[in-house]
Amino acid sequence: MENKRMVANEEQRRSPRNQKVPLTDSNGQNMATLFSPRFKSAAAMAGWDEEALLLASLIVEDTPDRDPKHKKRYVLHSKTPPNSSRKRRAQRSPQAPIPVVLDLDAEETPKIDSGRKKKEKKACVENEGKKACVENEGSKVGEGGNESKEKNPGDASSSSSLPCIDKLRDELSCAICLEICFEPSTTPCGHSFCRKCLRSAADKCGKKCPKCRQLISNGRSCTVNTVLWNTIQLLFPQEVEARKEASALNSRQQAQNLSPESAFFAYLRNDTQPLRVASSRSTNSMRSGTTATTTTTTTSTQENEDAALARMLQREIDEQRSLGTTRTRLARLRARRGGRGVSTSQHEDAALALRMQREEFMQTYRGSSQEQSSRLTSTSLARENLRAMASRAMNRRR
Amino acid sequence: MMISGGGGGGGKSSWSSSTSSWVPTTSVSASGKRIQREMVELNNDPPPDCSAGPKGDNLYHWIATIIGTPETPYQGGIFFLDIKFPIDYPFKPPEVVFKTRIYHCNVDPDGRVSMGILKDDWSPALTITKVLLEVRSIMTNPDPYNAVVPGIAHLYSGDRAKHDDIAAEWTVRFAK
Repeated sequence: MENKRMVANEEQRRSPRNQKVPLTDSNGQNMATLFSPRFKSAAAMAGWDEEALLLASLIVEDTPDRDPKHKKRYVLHSKTPPNSSRKRRAQRSPQAPIPVVLDLDAEETPKIDSGRKKKEKKACVENEGKKACVENEGSKVGEGGNESKEKNPGDASSSSSLPCIDKLRDELSCAICLEICFEPSTTPCGHSFCRKCLRSAADKCGKKCPKCRQLISNGRSCTVNTVLWNTIQLLFPQEVEARKEASALNSRQQAQNLSPESAFFAYLRNDTQPLRVASSRSTNSMRSGTTATTTTTTTSTQENEDAALARMLQREIDEQRSLGTTRTRLARLRARRGGRGVSTSQHEDAALALRMQREEFMQTYRGSSQEQSSRLTSTSLARENLRAMASRAMNRRR
Repeated sequence: MMISGGGGGGGKSSWSSSTSSWVPTTSVSASGKRIQREMVELNNDPPPDCSAGPKGDNLYHWIATIIGTPETPYQGGIFFLDIKFPIDYPFKPPEVVFKTRIYHCNVDPDGRVSMGILKDDWSPALTITKVLLEVRSIMTNPDPYNAVVPGIAHLYSGDRAKHDDIAAEWTVRFAK
């Protein structure tokens, strides 16, 4: 058994080395075909080296190309050495990114030998830590992506199919608002409430646990119980989503009741929709291959348009303000309620103003970081966030 | 299961239908939401011998009934209570007032119930269901040490039989 393993390991070590030498140039080609130079430079700015990019892209997007590679890797691990014809085929295949094979091999070996898993993992962290860690992150990102993809449709059925879901709902409800805990915070005595509820309870009813009246020492700096919060998000995605929307709506309405200006800013703060639209628009225009000059002309026309709209918005705000000063507050509220159209057009104007601001910002930075801004779309931003989270988790584990 | 709006009141459609028209305007406020949830929960799982619900269109003004527990001087009586929720409910206690006259050392002549949990011992985790159960429990076991009507408390600790007689008489006179 031990001997066989040794042999297998040696073969593994030898076989990639054999492949590595003739395939370095084809590797370079692969990079060229898979990633545009723009993307590479953007990635470089984001701190990704090319290998990491390849790895991440392969792991994140679980493409059908990956499956044959899996098989190939299994072939490599099998006790019989891969014959030369297979090797040649592997070399000829245009999309065989060899570094991936190498790195995944290093990762896969512990899977063969579960006993040595920990040791090897440590070794990989210490020695070629960078590669392995990047890959770990990548796989985590991949897992996270898959989870989030599968979560929503899966949970819609699971929340209704779980037999104890009503009991769970009771258990995970906040005793203060009687709804599913939103960002639950746990007291030192072990009772959990929505963070907001607990905070207002501490403010208004004294720093006692609402359930058992024990003292809460740090009632002001309540932290979210992440495990509980994640569990709640997994079990009751609809409720959580509804609550999020409700709170956003609520704050927006509150802002609307205060004054038109603050409503405008609250809208900017709360609603990321126009921001996303604007970013995707601008990236689309750049991705379609238009030169910088054409984009600037289009944006300048847009800017004129937006400036006009912003002026209109300003006028409207002024109008509303004068309304407010002449009439009573009640009348103003009634008028606004009657004319919902006014407020929605205000929102649209706010969105346009935001877009204008964004595009101005982008224009100033376009010269230096055109690629970066074009590629750092919401998805890559999200990916980067996940990356950061994963690395943080890695650091904590170490 | 979730019951949205006021459709969940089985049999008590008289007020549940009226609240359903009221829901959209209050759903923004946290207290309104919480009171509504309490209403749904109270309908789904009502406490024994108690019932409660909004008086009219106002979700913050409820009416409740407690049926006098057997083996007490209040047995057979139906006691009506007014419940007023403060605007920052559940962080402030509701105001509970007996509308039916009751001979009890913890209920003042105006009907206001004097209980720890309705004052300093209030906790936002308490619900109207728990409050009603607590009221029912002090009807069974008055607390003469925190009485608002000292005369009745004195009689209760000194001459329990006489106290019970008077209480039963009041029940027959006012609560039937």
